[in-house]
This record gives sequence, C-alpha cells and structure tokens, in this order.
Amino acid sequence: MKNSQFSILNSSFIKLRSYPQKLAVYFLTILGLNLIVSPLVQASTGGVFSRGQSYALGLLGLVTISLFVYLFVVIFQPERF
Amino acid sequence: MLKKRLLRSERRHTPKAKSKGLYSRAIKQAFVKLDPRISIKNPVMFLVWVGTVVTALVTINPELFGDVADNNPRLFNGLITLILFVTLLFANFAEAFAEGRGKAQADALRATKTDTTARKILPDGSTTDVSSTSLKRGDQIKVIAGDIIPADGEVLGGMATVDESAITGESAPVLKQPGTDIASSVTGGTRILSDELLIRVTSDPGKGFIDRMIALVEGAERSKTPNEIALTVLLAVLTEVFLIVIATLPAIANYVNSPVSIAVLIALLVALIPTTIGGLLSAIGIAGMDRVAQFNVIATSGRAVEACGDINTLVLDKTGTITLGNRLADEFIPVNGHSLEQVAQIALVSSIFDETPEGRSIINLAEKLGAKIDFDPNTANGIEFSARTRMSGTDLADGQEIRKGAVDAIKGFVRSRGGKISPDLDNAYESISLLGGTPLAVCQGEEIYGVIYLKDIIKTGIKERFEQLRRMGIRTIMLTGDNQITASVIAREAGVDDFIAEATPEDKIEVIRAEQAKGKLVAMTGDGTNDAPALAQANVGVAMNSGTQAAKEAANMVDLDSDPTKLIDIVTIGKQLLITRGALTTFSIANDIAKYFAIIPAMFATVGIGSLNIMGLASSQSAILSALIYNALIIPALIPLALKGIKFRPLTADQLLQRNIFIYGLGGVIAPFIAIKVIDLCVTAVGLA
Repeated sequence: MKNSQFSILNSSFIKLRSYPQKLAVYFLTILGLNLIVSPLVQASTGGVFSRGQSYALGLLGLVTISLFVYLFVVIFQPERF
Repeated sequence: MLKKRLLRSERRHTPKAKSKGLYSRAIKQAFVKLDPRISIKNPVMFLVWVGTVVTALVTINPELFGDVADNNPRLFNGLITLILFVTLLFANFAEAFAEGRGKAQADALRATKTDTTARKILPDGSTTDVSSTSLKRGDQIKVIAGDIIPADGEVLGGMATVDESAITGESAPVLKQPGTDIASSVTGGTRILSDELLIRVTSDPGKGFIDRMIALVEGAERSKTPNEIALTVLLAVLTEVFLIVIATLPAIANYVNSPVSIAVLIALLVALIPTTIGGLLSAIGIAGMDRVAQFNVIATSGRAVEACGDINTLVLDKTGTITLGNRLADEFIPVNGHSLEQVAQIALVSSIFDETPEGRSIINLAEKLGAKIDFDPNTANGIEFSARTRMSGTDLADGQEIRKGAVDAIKGFVRSRGGKISPDLDNAYESISLLGGTPLAVCQGEEIYGVIYLKDIIKTGIKERFEQLRRMGIRTIMLTGDNQITASVIAREAGVDDFIAEATPEDKIEVIRAEQAKGKLVAMTGDGTNDAPALAQANVGVAMNSGTQAAKEAANMVDLDSDPTKLIDIVTIGKQLLITRGALTTFSIANDIAKYFAIIPAMFATVGIGSLNIMGLASSQSAILSALIYNALIIPALIPLALKGIKFRPLTADQLLQRNIFIYGLGGVIAPFIAIKVIDLCVTAVGLA
C-alpha cells in the first residue's frame, strides 16, 4: 500500500522506502502493541491462559483489528487495490 | 446469418494463440501470487491467506491460543490448513490462467511486430534509413511495394494497396490513399503490396494500435473497472460483516459453555465470506477483455467495454452501417426539358474530380450513355464535397460552375445564380426518395439538368439485429444526410426506432447530448474526421480502423474489421461481462445458506441446535471439512464459466433478472446442500473425520 495517509512511515520523521524496512517496522509496531495488550488479556481471563497463550491471543487480536482497518480502507478507497 | 456468424468468429487478427504450456505456467503463477504483496490486492482472498497462516500455526502448536479438548487436533487443523491453502491456489490459478491466455494472445500479436527499417524523410527532402523503433509522432516516411509499414500513420501522398491480414485476418488488399475518410490511415505491421505511400507517423514507439492491443489482452497493467470496483466494495463490506460476527462469536460460545477453537472459527469465516466470486472476479474481467480482442476490437480500457453493457441508445450512420455503403448510380432522370445525354454529360463533368465510389459509378454510367470529357481537366478546378454545402463539382476555365449534390442544396445554388426551379425536379426527387434511393441534382450555373438516382441497399440481416437490440432495451437512431423521405423509407425497412434526416455533424453531437441529458448512455460508430466530436461525446465511441486518425483518437474503441455493426457484438460482450459477474456473485452468496446449515449445527451441537443438521452430516469435524472442501472445489468448477461468460440471451432486463436469480440464486442454495453431503460421505469413508 503506497502513500498511506495515516501511516507514520511516510512522515518526515521516518523516511522508509524499501518494502523490507516497512515490513520490519510494521512487525515491530505490532509486537510493541502486543506488549501492552497481552497482559490485559491475561488479566481479563483471570490467569486461565499462560503467558505464551496470552501473547498469541493478543497478537491474534491485533491482527484481527488490522484486518478490520484494511477492509475499511478497501471500502473507502477501493481504487488503491 | 449462421454462416456470417461463423465467418466472423473465425476471423483472427493474429494466428491463434498457442495454449501449450498454459496450464503449467498458470500453476507456477498460482504459487507466485501467494506473495502477500499480490494477495493484499484481493480483500477476500487476503483474509483466506491470513486464515491459512493462523491455522498453520495452530497445526504446529494446537494449544497456541488456549487448551483444546479435541482428539487429534493437529490432524484436523492440518486438514483445514491444507484446504485453505488449496482454496488460495485455486483462486490464484483462475486469475493466472485468464492472464496466461491473454499473454499467449499478446505474444502472438508481438510476433507480428517486427523491428523494420524505415525510410525517414528529412527536412531537406532526402531520405535516411532508420529503425522503426526510433520513429516518433510527426515523422514522415516513405514506404514502397514489399515494405512492412513500420508505424501507425496517416497517408499524405501516393496510392497503394496494403495487406492488412496481420491485424484483421483478411487477406484481401485494401486501397490506401490520402484525403479520404475511409482509406487514409495505415497500421504498423501491415505490408504494402503495390506502388508507394508517403506517410506521417501518428504514434510514438510502443503506443501504436498493436501495442495497445497487447497491453489490453495481457492485462498486466489492467486497472479495475467501475463495476469491478463497486463489486470489490460489496465483497469487502460482506467480508467485514462476517469478520465482526466471527470475532464476537467466541464470547457467545464461551457464555453458552460451547467453546470453539480458532481453527473452527477461521473455517467458518472462510466458508461465509464470498470466496467464490472473490477468487473469480479478476478472471471474469480479464476474460471479458480477451473476448473483445477476439472480435478484432481494440478497446482503450475495460471501462469502455463495461460501458457497452449499459448502453441505452445506439446512434448509427446510414451509409455503410445500415446500408451497403457503396451507393451506385442507377439512373439519370432529366428535368427542365433536357435530354438524357445532356444530363449524362453534366453528371460526368461534375464528377471528374470525385474519387468516391459514388463519383466513379456516376462517371461509369455517364460514359455508358456516351458522355465524354471535351476539355482539359488540368484547366478546371475541382470543388470538394463538404458536409456544410452538401455539394461538389467542377469550375471550368470559362467560368461555368457545374455542381451535383443534395436537391435542396442545388436549389439554393441555382436560386443564388438567378435560376428557376421546375416542378418536375420535385417529382423526380420524390419518386427516387420513395424507392429509398438518394437523389442528387446536377446543374450548370443557374440551370438544373436532372437528378441522379443513387441506389442504396440495406444490409441483409440488419433488421433482425435491430430487433435483437430492441429486445435488449437498446434504442437505435439512424443519422443520415439524406432527405426526409429517403430516410423514412430506409428507417422503416431497416427497423430502426428513430431517424434524423439531413443531418449535419453538429446534429450528431446534439442527438448524443439530448439522449445523455435524459440520463441515457449512448454508443456511436464513425469513421470520418467530422465524426470525431460525436465519437468523443458518446459514452462509447467505436471508430473504424479504415477511418481517419482523428476518429480513432476520439473513439474509445477501434474495430479492426471496420464493420459498423460490430457495435452490436461489443454491446453483447459488455452485457455478458456484467451478467457473469452478477450471476456468480449471486451464486457465491446463495451458497452461504448451505454452509450455515453445515457448520453452525456442528459448532453448537452441544447447545441443542444439532437438530439443524438437516444434511445429516456424520460429525462436527466432517461437516466443517466438507463445507471447506466444497468451498475450495467450487472455484475451479466455475473457472470455465467465468472465462467463457454466461451465454447472453437478448431478453429484457426483468426477464434476465428472473432467469438468473432462478438458476444462480436458487441453484446456489440447492447445489451446495447436495455437494456437501456427497463430500461428507467421501470424507467419512476415507476416515479423515
């Protein structure tokens, strides 16, 4: 996806051009967010899930939210695809 | 009619594209398209891609997202992963196969292009040999007998016959000469058979007609058409809705003490999202463009082909479209007391500078009646026909003005020179018009000598084609420069819905604008420079390949066969494209009903809705696997239909809707019930679940 209007990757602060660089930053962002989300998952389920399972569930949740956002972008900007 | 259809379908502008290796290339491309950068362009299949990755992870570690109580979850998850992966491959294969067919056709077209040497004319008049790839728009080149024309161009001088079989498939030579609407443009890659031509190049390297054809059929840089974009939005909305439903399902499942594993949730998501149409959408569009190319039509974009499917009004010229076009002089009718020989003499003189087939036929008829040229043509001045004056003729050295043209135009000319109009002129005019012919009056100065009867013949089968269009809901309007009576006779015989007589080029644009103001979509065919504004104004403009460069540039399609009735075929293809998309979308969404009845009872059997298992599927695992296997197999099963397109029937919109809802809607509901049950029996028999 090029020229994303709401992506920080095109800001003057971070200038990234290559696909592997962008991919690395996306992964790092999601993993970083997961550091906040997974303890929430573990706490909300009362410790039923192990730490690893909480991380996996947190990551799955973030991926699902990313898919929501991606589908919204397709709905409102279909010509980009 | 059947024979004509066969002949049209046999025409190819290139040798038939080779299909050897098509399947293996498509299979290879199916794996290449698994790249997420390519998959992300298809929202439905991208979700399947993500689902496949997640189920692969739970295959490796079944307790990744929580403890599971199933026996042998790894096998079940692995099977789901495999089925989802195969679903992705099938969808990619469909697109790759359609693209492969287009690429094969593009390769066959490329083979007709040769890097030739061109004789470029330099500003000082000398010639130099250059490569054809270095020619630019505006360059002048000279081609002689035996040469391949190196680039698309407009004839500036000379006269030659050209073999255009490389692009049209027709080997009959075509005369090319400057200054005419129908014979002044040439296409790169065709061969001069005789004499020589001076040509001005009209396209830059890589932008000629064959290059545009290659780009269209290859589909590599194809952008989505408006209808495809609208359908993509619909599919994305449905996918989003189902994603929300699936994301909230675990909370409800846990509340009713019937927890569901991630693999089953993903299976349900993939079963519900419209993967059938999601996987076939691009293949349908690519195949549609290929069909247009197979009809020897170059479309500048898929948008133009789609617009054809929604056309309400068709604007057609009379001469050459509805009638055979080469009107021939059949008779001279004297008026004002003049003799037949005198009329023949005046008709001959008025036509000596007229290069058109009509002019030639007048000369032939006049010479048969004994007329002769009794002066030196070099001392005379030819007056060209124009759509404004509607006359042409000759000014002799002694000042005499000989004219021939439309009767009212000649009347005006004669009156302006102080002449009188005799009543038998109107009688002759009416008698010819009532026969459907075109009357041309001839005069010398203020004296009208007679009327020439130009006979026009309506093409066979045209009435049936217009009837077919009427059933499709398309209104036909005939435009002609002929008088009201001739036009009404031809219109009645041909079966058009409306006609405009004595039409000028401005009338053509006005008709199109008036229809568009009513919200209609208008298609038009044309070949002359005076058609260019109207072709540009129309929603779909089809220019003839034999027409002028101006007409071809203004239009959004070019018919290589120069057959004005080809518009009917293009409208059919456009409608077929839209109908195919609509029908398969209906089928895809209707399939969901059966999949609900397969998977939901299996997921919540312990809660008491197991009684909804109306198909009697063996177990919850076999139900889920059967639904997914059906979901995967339906894609390759519908590839032939997607590529060939649903057969178009000339019915009204309501009849078409009823028919397709019955077949693809009801069929889409019933077929998966049977198929899933059969697959369930096989899955249980094999012992997979």
